[in-house]
This record gives sequence, C-alpha cells and structure tokens, in this order.
Amino acid sequence: MPDAAPDPVYHAPPAATLLRTPLDLLDAIYDRRSGLTHLVGEPVPAILDALAAGPASAADLMQRLADDYAIEGELAALRARLAELAALGLVDARAL
Amino acid sequence: MSDHQDPSANSAQSPAASRRRVLQLGAIGAATVISVRPALAQTAVSVMTCEIPVPDPSRASQYVAADGSLVAPGTPGAVPGAAMPFKGEDVRNVMTHGGRLPGTTAEQNEAYVNYIRRLRSGTGGFTCFASIQMPR
Repeated sequence: MPDAAPDPVYHAPPAATLLRTPLDLLDAIYDRRSGLTHLVGEPVPAILDALAAGPASAADLMQRLADDYAIEGELAALRARLAELAALGLVDARAL
Repeated sequence: MSDHQDPSANSAQSPAASRRRVLQLGAIGAATVISVRPALAQTAVSVMTCEIPVPDPSRASQYVAADGSLVAPGTPGAVPGAAMPFKGEDVRNVMTHGGRLPGTTAEQNEAYVNYIRRLRSGTGGFTCFASIQMPR
C-alpha cells in the first residue's frame, strides 16, 4: 500500500498578527509580519474564523464550516484555498 | 403598495440548518486573494541580495529561542544569533520550499526562521523580508 503524505494541519496565526477590516464585499487583512495587505473574498474570512477555534486539517475544517454554512464546493476547492492562504502566510501548514 | 412577505412563522419546524448561509468555496484553479504591495524601495534585483541579520545588530548579543523571540544568552533551548546575515533569496527559498537556511542546524533553522517571521518595521532586515513576500 503506497504511503500517502499525511494531510497538513492548518493553524491560524496568533490573534494579534492579522488586522482584519470588512469592506462590503471583501475583507482587508493587514499582516503585521510582512507588511502586506491582502484583499480577500469569500470563503477566506469564513476559513480564518473557523481556524480561530483551533488548528484543523482540510477535512476537519470542512466539517467545521458545514456546521455553520451550506457549503457549495468540494473538499478539493477548500484544499486549494488553504494552499493559497498558506503560500501567503495567512495560515500555517504544519505536519501536526 | 408593497407585498409583505411573511417569513415562515413555523420556527419550530425549521431547523437552523435550513437557514444557514451559503458558503461558496470557489474554483480550484482560481486565486481569491489580491495582495497589495507596501510602498517599499526594494527592486526585484536587490531582493536576491538584500540581507536579513539574525538578530538585528543592535541586539546581536541576545540568543534566539525556538519561537523566534530574543532571550538572554545561555537561555536553555535558545541558540546564538547567526554569524552572518542571510540573503533574501535564501530566506525566500526556505519559506517557500522548506529546507534549511545555509549553514544551520535544524534547531538553529527553526529559531532563525521564526525570528524572521516576526520581524517588524524598524527592525533590521524587515524591508528585505517584506520584499521577499511580494507575490510574483
């Protein structure tokens, strides 16, 4: 049986790291570490709020979001969003 | 004359689930974040050679803890600062692809990378670090 790489666990950054401001259709997120401002649309604010409750794998996060939302989209789409956020430093992908 | 639409009064029958907001996860290939550059003076060329000292020269005598904070020399679990500053390109490669900063042990690498992640405006190396964060 081939060994699949374990799913990463995604961690929200420490609370004071990101400064978030809703702007009608988008949120503006200032990352104090990088000095970058990110303009984010759905589903990013929901993802960040859900991760604030604690680290989660993509599958766990899907469950968490499904508690509060009627999800449109597959797990693969959520993985793509998480990978994008990890690449920007807005979430941390770790082995645990 | 307005139509008064009466929302369902049978709240006992409607579970919270049916009133949940829709959340669209988006297309797999699409990018959903636009990142705005800060007004910094680094050019693309200088990103490769700009340097990040660990730690900032004004605090060179301090040690770096595993979480990147600066602590008193000799603190258990902390490592001395790096002898030489790191190149922006090397830091970007490590943060993008993993691996270790040149010449570091695993312990040093973890401490230094976390130190760099915590850099703030005004600390040496911040401008270089912010430049390597630029989306392509």
